[in-house]
Amino acid sequence: MASPIPGFHSRYLRIDLTAGSGEPVPLAEAFLRQHLGGSGLGVALLLKEGAATADPLSLAASLAFVFSPLVGSPLTTSAKFAVVSKSPLTHRINDSLASSGFALAGKKTGYDAILLTGRAARPSILVIDDGKVDLEPADEFLGLSTRETEQALRGRFGAEFQTATIGPAGERQVSYATISHDGRHAGRGGSGAVLGSKNIKAVAVRGSHRPQWADPPALVELARQFSQKSFGPATAKYRELGTASNLLTFNRLNVLPTRNFQQGSFAGAAAISPEELGVARDRTRSSCAACTIGCEHLYGLRNGKGSVRLEYENLFALGPLCGIDDAEAVLEACRRCDDLGLDTISAGGTIAFAMECVERGLLDEPWLKFGDGPALLQALDLIVTGDGIGRLLALGSRRMAHEIGHDSIDFAPQVKGLEIPGYDPRGLQTMALGFAVGSRGADHNRSGAYEVDFSEAVDRYNVGPESAHLAVETEDKAALMDSLILCKFLRGVFTDFFKESAEILSLVTGWEVTAEELRQTARRIVTAKKRFNILAGWTPAEDTLPERMLQQALPDDTRAQLSADRLAALVRAYNLARGWSPEGWIPEAE
Amino acid sequence: MQVVVELFGIARARAGVAQTTAHGHCLGDVLADLAARFPRLAESCIAGRTLRPGFTANLGGQRFVTAQETALSEGDTVLLLPLDAGG
Ligand code: SF4
Repeated sequence: MASPIPGFHSRYLRIDLTAGSGEPVPLAEAFLRQHLGGSGLGVALLLKEGAATADPLSLAASLAFVFSPLVGSPLTTSAKFAVVSKSPLTHRINDSLASSGFALAGKKTGYDAILLTGRAARPSILVIDDGKVDLEPADEFLGLSTRETEQALRGRFGAEFQTATIGPAGERQVSYATISHDGRHAGRGGSGAVLGSKNIKAVAVRGSHRPQWADPPALVELARQFSQKSFGPATAKYRELGTASNLLTFNRLNVLPTRNFQQGSFAGAAAISPEELGVARDRTRSSCAACTIGCEHLYGLRNGKGSVRLEYENLFALGPLCGIDDAEAVLEACRRCDDLGLDTISAGGTIAFAMECVERGLLDEPWLKFGDGPALLQALDLIVTGDGIGRLLALGSRRMAHEIGHDSIDFAPQVKGLEIPGYDPRGLQTMALGFAVGSRGADHNRSGAYEVDFSEAVDRYNVGPESAHLAVETEDKAALMDSLILCKFLRGVFTDFFKESAEILSLVTGWEVTAEELRQTARRIVTAKKRFNILAGWTPAEDTLPERMLQQALPDDTRAQLSADRLAALVRAYNLARGWSPEGWIPEAE
Repeated sequence: MQVVVELFGIARARAGVAQTTAHGHCLGDVLADLAARFPRLAESCIAGRTLRPGFTANLGGQRFVTAQETALSEGDTVLLLPLDAGG
């Protein structure tokens, strides 16, 4: 094999779990340059595998842990990996990202990606030791929480191995189960269920292969400058307050989804805000591996139950969305989701949907009421045991609505099956477009269009088709960040994102990369995700929002109103801005 | 002319208050008034009569504004908040 490109190993490890063996597959330079790493490389590999047409929980399904050219470099926030598969929740592409030592150790195995297919004969730990593949029995770990599994694996394999684990939710193939490491989660879209379906409780990696960098002195200097900037005002919010500080801002702007998106503000917001919690409870800070920002804020639980990581998304989903203003219940719900291995947004969204179904008399579960903290905790447990209403809740809100009927799909809080994150799209209409067209469903990480709404560029209550290109731009930026990979919370320190990213990539790889090339790469990655979805059965009708959001204004802010016609016009303009047909089909020439 | 100012996130943490009043006919006047009274807020959020990068203002919870000449009316509410809403 030719020498690897700097920044890469120029090969991936394809593991057939049925056979219990792995083989290296070379990655050509042109292919790597077109798709980079993370989400971009992962989608390209899955397309090669024909994963779009396979059932996501079947033997034929593939799941890839994908590293990136920047992993292991001195650049802040670059210790990240993507988990890419077809989602059992949406049956569309799913790329979830997480940061931790798993990315560093995984890349040191000597591969740019680890792709799993087939199914182990029995519950197993997949061990990859410097590229050597082994399956070890996992029986003793079954039923353990993500945290317990990680601790037990450290005892068994030693601290040199890094592990990615599923919790009981993944074992039971709950369609929004996560993959966890070090308290961080590849959270959305159910990659934990895919790993569970492959009979893999955890992946343990260790290695000694470090790729070269093309220009180490210049890279170290650039990394030093980025680290310096990451201590500045652009990231102060993340460092000092964490993302949870969005809560009161969003509440004031009436875009805080409350009681299953029935309102845009929550009377109990102050009680669960980080401003209040920070006074009443112990607060500590933490960060992902190789990060100089450290956005993670952990709050103490009562009765010596330790502390729990609180971000805006788990706070909104397990608090206001379920009408809950009991801080202890919200924090305990966050902890339980992390331990069980459940995506907090989908868990909160599905439970909030069920609460509204109960309110409307569509479900006979009178205990499951908005505002009831113990009921929320009970519902989380049932999702994983599958008892009672747990069987329905484990399906996510879209499939649950289809089982309940009575037009409940109209108020199921999802797009393409993925529960909507904490931004009410009626009052943030560029974000509404981002949600509607998102390849993995309603998603604030793949489209940062809310940034446009929080600016003078648009009237957030009345966004027109002329602004669709702004949604394209934020989606392209996200696609590049997710493929390089860098943390989104670093974005504020870039002055010219594409130009500076080109400089970084050039120093790592030795390629003469330009901003224009990276713009094209980003568009190619977005198009590849769309291509995956088309192969998986996508139709234009799914690029929309729940019917209720297109028929009713927010009662507490009647300016927040978006009609189906107006959203359709935005989607059309977006498709044309991407160079696709007005309906969203990709021209054959692409 | 007096306006109400509501502060969020880092702006609130720096000023040490959630709400205050300020005087001026335009956003620049109000920012200058706040900067004079809340030096720590000024250090992070306000440079003279303008917002520092990373911060924005909003009128009444509706319209985002940053231009210092943005006219204000008696009784208006100005929100001061971090620009970056990601999470
Ligand atoms: S900013 Fe936060 S999420 Fe991003 S890498 Fe650092 S600790 Fe992790």
